[in-house]
Amino acid sequence: MHLAFGPAAEKTVTDPGASTSEAQAIEVASIEDLHVTFRRSGKDIAALRGVSLDIRRGEILGLVGESGSGKSVLGLALLGLLDARADVRGAVRVAGRDMAHCDQSARREVRRVHLGAVFQDPMTSLNPTMRVGRQVAEVAGSKDEAERLLGAVGIPDPASRMDAFPHELSGGLRQRVMIAMAVAGNPDLIVADEPTTALDVTVQAQVLTLLRSLRDEIGCSVLLITHDLGCAAQVADRVAVMYAGRLAELGSSAEVLARASHPYTLALLRSRLSLASDRTTSLLALPGEVPNPAAPEPGCAFAPRCDLAGPACLDAPPPPLEVRPGHLSACVVPAVEVTSRLAEVVRAAVVPHPEREPHNDDVVTLYRVQKSFRVGAGRTTRRLQALRGVNLTVGRGESVALVGESGSGKSTLLRIVAGLESFDGGKLEVAGPDCPQMVFQDAGASLTPWLTVGEIIGERLRGISRAERAAKVAQALAHVGLPAEVAKAKSAQLSGGQRQRVSLARATVVAPSILLCDEPTSALDVSLAASVINLIGGLRRELGMSVLFVTHDLSVARVVADRIAVMYLGRIVEVGDADQITSQPVHPYTQALMSAVPDMGREPVALRGEPASPLAPPAGCAFHSRCPKAIDDCGDALLDVRLTAVDRSAHHLAACIRATA
Amino acid sequence: MSALLAKRLGAIVMISIALAGVLFYLQKISPLDPVHARLGGQASASAVAAERHRLGLDRPEFTQFVDYVRGAVHGDLGDSYRTRRPVSTDLRAYLPATAELALSGLLIAMVLGVLLAFATTLRWKASSVLRPVLLLGASTPTFLLGIAGILLFYSKLHWLPATGRSSLADVPGGPTGLITVDALLHGRFDVFWDAVQHLIMPATAIALGPAVAIARVLRSSLVSDQRSDYARTARAKGLSEPAILIKHVLRNCVGAALSMTGLQVGLMFAGVLVIEQVFSWPGIGQYVAQSIPVADFPAISGVTLLLGVGYVVINTVVDLLQAVADPRIKV
Repeated sequence: MHLAFGPAAEKTVTDPGASTSEAQAIEVASIEDLHVTFRRSGKDIAALRGVSLDIRRGEILGLVGESGSGKSVLGLALLGLLDARADVRGAVRVAGRDMAHCDQSARREVRRVHLGAVFQDPMTSLNPTMRVGRQVAEVAGSKDEAERLLGAVGIPDPASRMDAFPHELSGGLRQRVMIAMAVAGNPDLIVADEPTTALDVTVQAQVLTLLRSLRDEIGCSVLLITHDLGCAAQVADRVAVMYAGRLAELGSSAEVLARASHPYTLALLRSRLSLASDRTTSLLALPGEVPNPAAPEPGCAFAPRCDLAGPACLDAPPPPLEVRPGHLSACVVPAVEVTSRLAEVVRAAVVPHPEREPHNDDVVTLYRVQKSFRVGAGRTTRRLQALRGVNLTVGRGESVALVGESGSGKSTLLRIVAGLESFDGGKLEVAGPDCPQMVFQDAGASLTPWLTVGEIIGERLRGISRAERAAKVAQALAHVGLPAEVAKAKSAQLSGGQRQRVSLARATVVAPSILLCDEPTSALDVSLAASVINLIGGLRRELGMSVLFVTHDLSVARVVADRIAVMYLGRIVEVGDADQITSQPVHPYTQALMSAVPDMGREPVALRGEPASPLAPPAGCAFHSRCPKAIDDCGDALLDVRLTAVDRSAHHLAACIRATA
Repeated sequence: MSALLAKRLGAIVMISIALAGVLFYLQKISPLDPVHARLGGQASASAVAAERHRLGLDRPEFTQFVDYVRGAVHGDLGDSYRTRRPVSTDLRAYLPATAELALSGLLIAMVLGVLLAFATTLRWKASSVLRPVLLLGASTPTFLLGIAGILLFYSKLHWLPATGRSSLADVPGGPTGLITVDALLHGRFDVFWDAVQHLIMPATAIALGPAVAIARVLRSSLVSDQRSDYARTARAKGLSEPAILIKHVLRNCVGAALSMTGLQVGLMFAGVLVIEQVFSWPGIGQYVAQSIPVADFPAISGVTLLLGVGYVVINTVVDLLQAVADPRIKV
């Protein structure tokens, strides 16, 4: 891809690898002691509590934080899009204007000329009733320029896409349209707020690569807001870590990764899952939850969760101090001491998993299970082939992960095992006596809002006295690490992590033979996800349950599962022990998924294209259209790719004629 | 699009036949005997039998129903007991006046509704006047509104006429029967203006209620879509608030307002029948008002069928317009 971006391409581009001490670099935006307070239902919510930050010309600055850290508020402040009722103090300087206080028409002008924005969900962020060509032309100025931009962001056949509506494009293409709008008119700064969170892993890698190459071409700066430190460290030049409305740490990506100095950054790095995480011990979850922004503590906001917190932490929030040139950390404990003292704490916290005794009986057996859905009506009816013949067994006490991108059929398979969905062909056996229990991604939506937690959990207990029921509910809550008082609360009064614990308590109050988990951690913050994964593993061992765990993230699958089954377009393409799959993936699709997992200090490797439509799976091997190793035979309609043993191991099977031949 | 169109047309036919069935059986179970209604109470038994045979009332009921539907399809709705003319001929005479009034009312309701929605969404100064006035109008019964209008604008201010469709003698008889349209077709602007003056009061009286309903629905979707992600994207592009509302938000919001409009049309028909009495408007309302006291069943059911089919047709048009506005609605 090559871009010619007119006169603006001559803008001075600072070397992205330049050392952070290069203070003469010109700032495109500078935030000075920014405080933002919202008023919601009579309470003051302190979203930002004194943030100072410069964004240099041509750099990608990764802004990392969990929900409630204020990272998105900072992005909106830069765009001058904060709610007019918010109380804003400090300054946000972009192109010589204070976006926090200048009048609306001046802000509009700055947005139009100097800023671009990419938001999280490209489906809702594009106008659903306007053709994408017009949406891009609105900022690009002309149809021709819009078409050129669509081509420049890697949309194939841009001329024909000009007339498409957003719903006619795939998620990845939609996000490319958003990016085309953001780079139109060569802005100085692009604010990208979680641009890849709603996308599949392979597409996420494509979008990150695209953002970086656009920066290299037109020399704009990018503020990459993300909850994933790995994702930020992979493409950003500098990383800023935020916690509870303040800056915790700031430095070049390499520096922050190698010599993180703030206990929070270190905790994030520890609880973050990667393909190298230790599978034999429990994860190092960060205890506690993000502090309540309505009642900020006077001292360091991280102190209640910090292993090193001392009396000095409780007086005043520590200002960011330079620990090395260009590397700031807001902690009263000296950086050297932080690393050494935390290492000891960590050593003591590691709990190895007990060995699992192997069982020979199977809890779930699927044999050639097929499922298709009718899509559309009348003459346009088509069949969406969700499952195209799946064989899988889950042993007693075993944990199996189903991994795949959207459209792979992994969630359909889970719903069929749960009995929530019928299937068209094949056989399914689920061992009794209790029916499987399910835990969903959106724990908030899966709890009835007007019932108390006690009523929700107690629903599964029939025919026992009220006192017995209350005791069982309290016991189930204790199992998931919640106090018994939670039984009286309703789901709206709980935090995200607590809600997911409540759904686990509901699922396990009567221990099922198998627990079905549909992406239970993907909506949670990094620090909470680790504790939920630990919890599921602990419950499984304690109650002797099997677990079938659906996820799009191989690094999560690797930690929660004994075995991993990788799915693509309704078929299992590779299955084997978690270690085998992640250390020696055989199928090209598994290999592509592995390389797409965002990891620090490693270039993102993007698989071309997006998953094909399950309405018309490609003939032969369904993956051949994207496969880097495909040969002509792979697309042969008569080809029947079956799961075949890899290295004569009965445990490791792959469906690829190139890999197992 | 054609598939949806075919499906909707099919639905219109089915609903109309069902409506005809209901009307037919209402007529059957009513204690009124159409033969006595025609011949009078003193008619001899043989004359009654002969008339019954002539009208086909001695045949099986299902055959009668099929004949009724077949006749209705061909525009034969039976003869009115009162006027002794075919009901379809009567309707043809009275319908244009009602159609003109109802369509004007619909137009005014939509314009006022959109105006009010925009005024309150963008917090225009005018909204502080417009809103209470419209709310007051909408919560007053239509006929009171009409009478109040006559007292103020006719008796007191002499601004507008109080009765009829036109005060001119030489109204051109045009192709449509709608005086405003015919006048324009004939290039008679004096007639057009005169007809508009006659229309303003009755049309506004029936439009206020629907206008407020449309405005309320449109406003709430405008306000919620103003906070949507795509509106935020438009804002990030540097567009101004009115531009965002008109270019981006409006098209996403017309769906809800359109379905409300479709529902309001039904209420509006009821309003038309009443308001025609107040303004001596020579339309279907007058016709029905004269038919009901004498139990002129063919006339009443003819009007009911016509209004019912009109309601279904308008709601079908609304559905099609929604599909045009929102490309995600699969057709």
